[in-house]
Amino acid sequence: MDILITGVGGQGTILASKILAYAYVIEGRNARTGETIGMSQRGGCVVSHVRAGNAHSPYIPVGGADLLLSFELCEGARRIPYLKKDGFAIVNTASIIPVSTALGMADYDAEKITKYISENSNAIFIDADKLARECGSFRAVNTVLIGAACGLGVLGLSKDSIVQSIKKNIKAKYLDLNIKAFHSGMKTTGEMKEKCKVI
Amino acid sequence: MTANEKINDITRRVNDLKEILLGNTAIALGAVVAGVRVAAGYPGTPSTEVLESVAKYNTDGKISVEWSTNEKAALEVAAGASWSGVRAIVTMKQVGLNVASDPLMSLGVIGTKGGMVIVVADDPGPISSQTEQDTRHFGKFANIPVLDPSSPEEAYEMTKYAFELSEKLHLPIILRPTTKVCHSSGTIEVDTEVYQYEPEGFVKEPKWVIFPPLSYRRHLEIEQQQKEISALFSRLPFNRIEGNGRIGIATGGAAYAIVRDIVESYELDVTILKSGAVFPPPDQLYSEFLQRVEKVLVLEELDPVIEEQLYHIMAVRKIEKPIRGKLNGFVSPAGELRFENTLKIIEKFIGRKLKNIENESGMVFPQRPPVLCAGCPHRASFYAVKKAMRGKKSVFCGDIGCYTLGNGKPLEMTDTCLCMGAGITVAQGIKKAEPDTNVFAFIGDSTFFASGMTGLANAVYNGTKINVIVLDNSTTAMTGHQPHPGIGRTMMNTSSPKIDIFSVAKSLGAEFVEKVNPFEFDLAVKTVREASEKKGVSVVIFEAPCAALVKPDNVCAVEDCTGCKKCIREIGCPALTVRDRKVEINRALCNGCGLCTNVCDRIIRL
Repeated sequence: MDILITGVGGQGTILASKILAYAYVIEGRNARTGETIGMSQRGGCVVSHVRAGNAHSPYIPVGGADLLLSFELCEGARRIPYLKKDGFAIVNTASIIPVSTALGMADYDAEKITKYISENSNAIFIDADKLARECGSFRAVNTVLIGAACGLGVLGLSKDSIVQSIKKNIKAKYLDLNIKAFHSGMKTTGEMKEKCKVI
Repeated sequence: MTANEKINDITRRVNDLKEILLGNTAIALGAVVAGVRVAAGYPGTPSTEVLESVAKYNTDGKISVEWSTNEKAALEVAAGASWSGVRAIVTMKQVGLNVASDPLMSLGVIGTKGGMVIVVADDPGPISSQTEQDTRHFGKFANIPVLDPSSPEEAYEMTKYAFELSEKLHLPIILRPTTKVCHSSGTIEVDTEVYQYEPEGFVKEPKWVIFPPLSYRRHLEIEQQQKEISALFSRLPFNRIEGNGRIGIATGGAAYAIVRDIVESYELDVTILKSGAVFPPPDQLYSEFLQRVEKVLVLEELDPVIEEQLYHIMAVRKIEKPIRGKLNGFVSPAGELRFENTLKIIEKFIGRKLKNIENESGMVFPQRPPVLCAGCPHRASFYAVKKAMRGKKSVFCGDIGCYTLGNGKPLEMTDTCLCMGAGITVAQGIKKAEPDTNVFAFIGDSTFFASGMTGLANAVYNGTKINVIVLDNSTTAMTGHQPHPGIGRTMMNTSSPKIDIFSVAKSLGAEFVEKVNPFEFDLAVKTVREASEKKGVSVVIFEAPCAALVKPDNVCAVEDCTGCKKCIREIGCPALTVRDRKVEINRALCNGCGLCTNVCDRIIRL
């Protein structure tokens, strides 16, 4: 199981990768992750790779991801080539406009980007920022998205293992909020799954 | 909780399951269970988390952990500890070893007593470094054994072994992880026992004083010892031959993991030579490998070290096998190895296609170069100097830290960057060559202590009029907010005397020294102008805490924006965004610093 998590520096992608990787370990599997840490964190593109199973190297090959978990619209689109043909993308619709766009050096056309993702992958779009804020903080986007992946039933993980991993990796102070966010994400995709029978 | 109990706790926490550990944390825990007592280092990506994790797992306080002022200081502290019989670890990034190369070279001659491990993280790519240098060369240069882990799991095992090996050989050991090992995590079962020992203490002996006759004698011994280590390394499990194919792939470090993934995915019939204890080279094992295969592809990141070792052994043992690698242009000399480019090289080598990789989306997405954070005081400092010097012939020398990003649009306030501390001294060279130019040197607070002070002394001593701007945000921000000598707190959270940059600059003899908050914008501009007009060396210290460490108490807003976008063109803050041709302030990002209110009257602080 290979999961690519993508977003912009500061959004919490690393914590999401930790939570998922540890959940696989709880279920008795080996897991590894690969992260972007350092200069690219300052508002740059960040990608975390989570690999459960017997892969040796930390990075998922292009065309190898079972799931793309995207914290930001354009970053999701940028990494579509990493998905397997039958892989799924869960994309947060929130956009973070880069300074290069504000300076007029590059276009950020949300409509076009959304269309590209839809045409090139099995994608589900959710407003994870909104769901996170409703649960108490925009910082809970990571647990909303993990919940969404769980609700879609594509992780090969039980809900209990994920909750156990969230409890281990998130500070007690923020735990209730994040458990709530996890359930909110799970409910959203669970309902979508019912409605459109995407899987 | 003692270190033992803590480690027990880590492994027990979830039904005796294994842990997911970052490579750097695995190295730290390897050192903790090996009984490390002194740990020192200087922050630098991708090495920083090693020392931070040693501090984190130093639960019984038995380990002395410190951020030293620079890598040279750290290595010397560790050497002294080792000479006193305790196990010591020192951590840095690859360019840090350049700074510490003076003690390293001599330590290779004098040797060690308590196990000493020098962790030096290399950065193929490079992803966040100045150079793509290869630390394995330093091993050869200094006659110090080098271990090169291929995964976090192996890094953990190698760290423990390195302490034993160091004590056996009386030499320091270089552990050389690369970014893909440091910043990836693996599933590791942490040992529950910490190695126990009673250090002998420092024993006065002539062997700790380096003199020419001693160096000569040691040189003879060390060269003999290299042969013994090579024989040992040929039997070490970190070095091994896997598979039975007639086609050979020699690899090591993170590249080994990629090669294994490809070989397993496509069931390739090859023989892999995995080099983990890479210097001195395991000659016997290399020669067995060469005998078994018809031709060899060498896949390694950075320099062709394994490749040159193979050529060497072929020459010595009169073996002739075709080798493809970096030396004959088969593999690119620069950049990271990833699954995709490694697969292409293997396809070319075996002469058949294994997979079609479609990495082209046909879409062009906006780039996201790293930028100074919203509310970053460096933006205000750069903008103040830019405004003060507008229309005057000026050169702005930069240095290493977040503020290297001052190079980007729209500030464009970093004209040079060479290495740690070089801004101040490069500025002096430019001033000597171009006396009519106003030359500025920007340097961060941590960098000032690491290697800025000698440069400032040089300017004063030699009477070179430069303008030094210290960007003092009270932390080492770029690497994740480590403390430094100017803060009054150590990494173990004890208080320490606060070394005051203002007093240091004064006592080093700078003619003009002034402290100012860059967000008091008009005063900041005026101070810079005044500094530039002085005859002697000037130092302006811009003091304001790193934006990532302070919570905003207000935010800014735009009222009736005309859409001229001057604010974005002037300061390029990431919180300034455009919607329907008008500038809006992203409240989730805005730090309320108010720098933009100095650019446009329509922006106000709420």
